[in-house]
Amino acid sequence: MIDARGLKSLLRGAARAPLLALLLLAGCKSATVINEHREAATTALSGDESIVVLGRRHSASHETEEDFISCVGKTLGQGQSELKVIPEKAFVDTMYPYFETSTAPMDVRNLDKLMQIPAIAAKFEGLKVRYFVWIDGATERTDSTGSVACAVGPAGGGCFGFAYWEDEANYEASIWDFRELSLSGKINAETKGTSFMPAVIIPIPMLARVQANACKSLSNQLRNFFSLPAS
Amino acid sequence: MATPNNTGAGPCGAACKRLCLIGLALMVAACQQSMSLKVASEVPVPLMTQLPLSLGVLYDEPLRNYVYEEDSEERSNWKIDSGASHVALFERILPAMFREVTEVAGAPAGAGVDAVLVPSVAEMQFALPHETKTDFYEAWIKYEMTLQDPQGERIAAWLVTGYGKSSTEFMKSRDKGLNAAVNQALRDAGARFALGFPRVAAVKTWLADQTGGGQSFPNDRPQ
Repeated sequence: MIDARGLKSLLRGAARAPLLALLLLAGCKSATVINEHREAATTALSGDESIVVLGRRHSASHETEEDFISCVGKTLGQGQSELKVIPEKAFVDTMYPYFETSTAPMDVRNLDKLMQIPAIAAKFEGLKVRYFVWIDGATERTDSTGSVACAVGPAGGGCFGFAYWEDEANYEASIWDFRELSLSGKINAETKGTSFMPAVIIPIPMLARVQANACKSLSNQLRNFFSLPAS
Repeated sequence: MATPNNTGAGPCGAACKRLCLIGLALMVAACQQSMSLKVASEVPVPLMTQLPLSLGVLYDEPLRNYVYEEDSEERSNWKIDSGASHVALFERILPAMFREVTEVAGAPAGAGVDAVLVPSVAEMQFALPHETKTDFYEAWIKYEMTLQDPQGERIAAWLVTGYGKSSTEFMKSRDKGLNAAVNQALRDAGARFALGFPRVAAVKTWLADQTGGGQSFPNDRPQ
């Protein structure tokens, strides 16, 4: 049975809950820093030209995530400009064995060498590739603390505790101009964010969408690079 | 006084005990390290210009039935069956490299082919994320390739390696993770074999003899 004092305390606690939730929500924001370096002016893409977005996976320490590459490709393809983006897997499968992790060109000058192979030249001609966007990087957990413990018993179950973690996304996009066979520029996107998960019976994850924000920021900067309106 | 639910065996009744046993069995099943995996591979058709040669290929029994087996403390009763995937890899790649590819039953193959290729698996290795303290399942393949003339005389022998890794995505099982890593390793080995074939010194000499010399090989990427 709750007495008047207990009820008052409960109501006071309930009134504070939205404030606490707001504070936590504000806390799980992420911040992105973009750096752009332009080597040469990019020319606007004509209607039938396309872009390929590819991930670098040669490093032993990290691997550019397939879903991140897919996200950038999809975001670039959105909007009124209808930019033609060839999906990574489709492109790598079509060009097999020349764009595997161990065989892909690491330098824009190697594209010229690839073009000396008649089958490759014909395929590129058919796909009308104008720019290559090579993305190297990953999203990693840099810190985590706290804990949430859950228990189940005959009377029911629940969780209790508090955990938070920090994620950091760091990606660099190198843009190769296939027509000029030169490096057009580089864009670096660095996103940091902290996520929280308080648990009182039910865990409530409040996630900073670090990778998604890095994808959006990098894609918008790439659209700007290609003189397209932001999505 | 005992109630129907309290038979004197403590606070946990028969139903509760059954639940506990099921839970324990599930936990044991989840913790055990045994594995039985049949690799499902998918390698694309290579984009290559065919060499004007007729190749015989011998898939011997050890290759067809290759199974990686390990029974150690950490890897109790591991069986990874990849035989069909090795055959599928070469069946996909070789017809893109040569004008004509014929499967032969044994060496010497006799007339009708310019040479016979005999691929064999020299070694396979695997690594799990908890073993390497990384976020990747990893797989390595080492093939021993032998090229023979139609009379069974060795022309060339060389090693081809392949490496693949697959990240530990949310809810991805160990079997799926390893299968993806093996598939990546097969693709890599196939790519290295296809591009490296004309660069093997003894193969290069043989190719020059076969084609009258002086021919540049269309798939050989300039260095």
